[in-house]
Amino acid sequence: MLRRTLVLASAAVTALGLLAGCGGGSDAGENESTLKVAALEGGYGRDMYTQVIDAYKAKHPGLDVQLQISKSIEDEISPNMKAGKFPDVVVLGQGRKAALTETLIKDKALEDLSGVRDQVQANLTDGITGNLNTDPYGDGKTYLMPMYYAPTGLFYNQGLFTKNGWKTPATWDEMFALGDTAKAKGIPLFTYPTAGYLDSYFFALLADIGGEQFYNDVMTYKQGVWQTPQARQALDLTTKLLSYAAPTTVGYANEQDFTKNQQSILDDKALFMPNGTWIVGEMKDAPRAKGFQWALTPLPAVTASGKRYLTTSVESVWIPSGAADKDAAKDFVAFLYSDEAAKIFAKSSAIQPIKGIAASLTGENAKFYKLYEDPDVAALVGGFASTAPVEGVDIKATLFDTANSIISKDKTEDQWQSALNDASEKLRQAGK
Amino acid sequence: MTRPAAAPKRAAAGGFVAACLLPALFLFALFMIWPTINVFRMSLYQWSGFSPVMRFVGLDNFTKLLDDDQFIRAFQNTVALLVVVTVVTMGMGLLLAAIMTRAKLRGRNLYRFVLYIPNVLSVVVIAAIFSAIYDQQNGLLNGALRLFSAEGLQRVWLGDQKIVLWSVATAMVWQSLGYYMVLYMSSMSSIPEELYEASALDGASAGRQFFTITLPLIWQNLRTSLTFFIMSAVNLSFVLVRAMTGGGPDGSSEVLLSYMYKQAYTNSSYGYGMAIGVVIFAFSFLVSLLVSRATKREPLQF
Repeated sequence: MLRRTLVLASAAVTALGLLAGCGGGSDAGENESTLKVAALEGGYGRDMYTQVIDAYKAKHPGLDVQLQISKSIEDEISPNMKAGKFPDVVVLGQGRKAALTETLIKDKALEDLSGVRDQVQANLTDGITGNLNTDPYGDGKTYLMPMYYAPTGLFYNQGLFTKNGWKTPATWDEMFALGDTAKAKGIPLFTYPTAGYLDSYFFALLADIGGEQFYNDVMTYKQGVWQTPQARQALDLTTKLLSYAAPTTVGYANEQDFTKNQQSILDDKALFMPNGTWIVGEMKDAPRAKGFQWALTPLPAVTASGKRYLTTSVESVWIPSGAADKDAAKDFVAFLYSDEAAKIFAKSSAIQPIKGIAASLTGENAKFYKLYEDPDVAALVGGFASTAPVEGVDIKATLFDTANSIISKDKTEDQWQSALNDASEKLRQAGK
Repeated sequence: MTRPAAAPKRAAAGGFVAACLLPALFLFALFMIWPTINVFRMSLYQWSGFSPVMRFVGLDNFTKLLDDDQFIRAFQNTVALLVVVTVVTMGMGLLLAAIMTRAKLRGRNLYRFVLYIPNVLSVVVIAAIFSAIYDQQNGLLNGALRLFSAEGLQRVWLGDQKIVLWSVATAMVWQSLGYYMVLYMSSMSSIPEELYEASALDGASAGRQFFTITLPLIWQNLRTSLTFFIMSAVNLSFVLVRAMTGGGPDGSSEVLLSYMYKQAYTNSSYGYGMAIGVVIFAFSFLVSLLVSRATKREPLQF
């Protein structure tokens, strides 16, 4: 009997040993010359990455480049990252819901890419580096290389405007006048997919009102910046604009229904919405009003001859500090800016900030990127500066999501302003 | 078999039982106890989730919670959901189960099937179904109201901050009602029929029978399922809120778990999120304890 028990006990121990064995040592077969690339599968598709990697491999025989690509790449790489296994190169911008890039910036867990920047500087469009998007700590060191850029602004139906003989408003007065005209025809002036899409709107508006200096003050949480008259003007204009919002906006402003708000532009049930150039591809299969044609305009100017900013969304490529082979990773990043790679990317309409590339565009994209040629229009890149995390404070949510409450009149403009002031102040203290 | 042989045999059997239990205990400790301890430990630190630096901050995370309006709102929402959803689901579950078992309804198998189906569906599917029902323009609900010329009752079900929480609650009730109904049906059907026959001869009405025979006899079942339900409602509210409203509009449908997720994973405040986790743990523990104390009765048997 005793012997039997012993046998059983040893069987149990063996089973446990097997279980424990599953936990470790699965990556014994990895060799040194493997480059792990992780990329977000955005609206541009995945083919362009495989092609670029093939081109790179052709130049570096013996090197194995593994591509991990997904629409929710954060969910796939972050568990491994928490366990200390980092990819070598990551193509992923800021402003995603999972905020992986932002978290790593806050943690100072990115590799300094200033060397790569200097190497490819000659190819890059002027002014695309040296802002908070690429140099998150504002110290002149580049940690995120700009990958693709796209203008964001107010999208509308050109066909509807032509049919009614409307002009795209150049100033806010014209904007609200158009709002009244359209209202008489039963078309609301404004809608947004979700409140989060107001980011491009607010960034441009703040710069339109107070210039880039003021914009930077807001983004870096200067003391009392939300109590200035400029900030108040921005909130005044927005509150007035929100009073013109389509009545369906708030009810659809969630992850499940936001395309219905986008659909209202296609159906001529709203005039303008803030969005990015990906909207054309995103809604390409949706039904639309007769004569529909996508068009993009910067926000109206605050004063008649004022400068208008076009918030430019920039995807980034970066190398985590925990990457195994940083030199190989940097070489690969530099290759992404070569003519060969740029040509492959441009074929999928992923436009890199490389000189002369905009001239080669066709169709709707050409129209969108042409906006940059207007001398009164300037590109605006960046976003809120990174600070140490502050518990319970999310200034983006305070600035954007409150729009839902302003439309439904659950909060007043004054409450909005003071909440922004509080959040900004807490972040300023954390950033010191 | 002689008597003295029994003692070593029992010891051997005990060893065998222990050997059999060990793997399960090991897994339980690894995947349940250890993470729970970790949640408590992490709630005392300030950590972003990735960085190698963890700063010990003591109970700072908890004092910050008290000043956090969003947290308080999420807490209120969770409590409101728990109370309303529990009362409605349990009440309706009991009522329906009683009707199904006592009143020999025609086609009751079909009803049971229909009511049970939502429980099999994935929560994401339920969220999609309900966002179609609640759609402010072409939704089933507003469409039906229009059909009956009750336009005055139409609402933006997921866009109105005063209503959105109840819209979520309705979806929760719909999801869990069938499961609890079937649970109660099975315990009710095990009550011997002669008790009902005897009470009927004494002139007891169906209502009287329910309260004096059915309810006391399934009480132990009810207690267990109540505790169980409170636990699962906390989880279900998170999944539904996340898939249906994302906590919106403007945080008005945020619940504790969804707020914890936001803080821990998108606001890079992992330690703060874990502090919320500790609050959730303590809260569900406390509520379950209270419920189980409040519902304690002398067990009855038939």
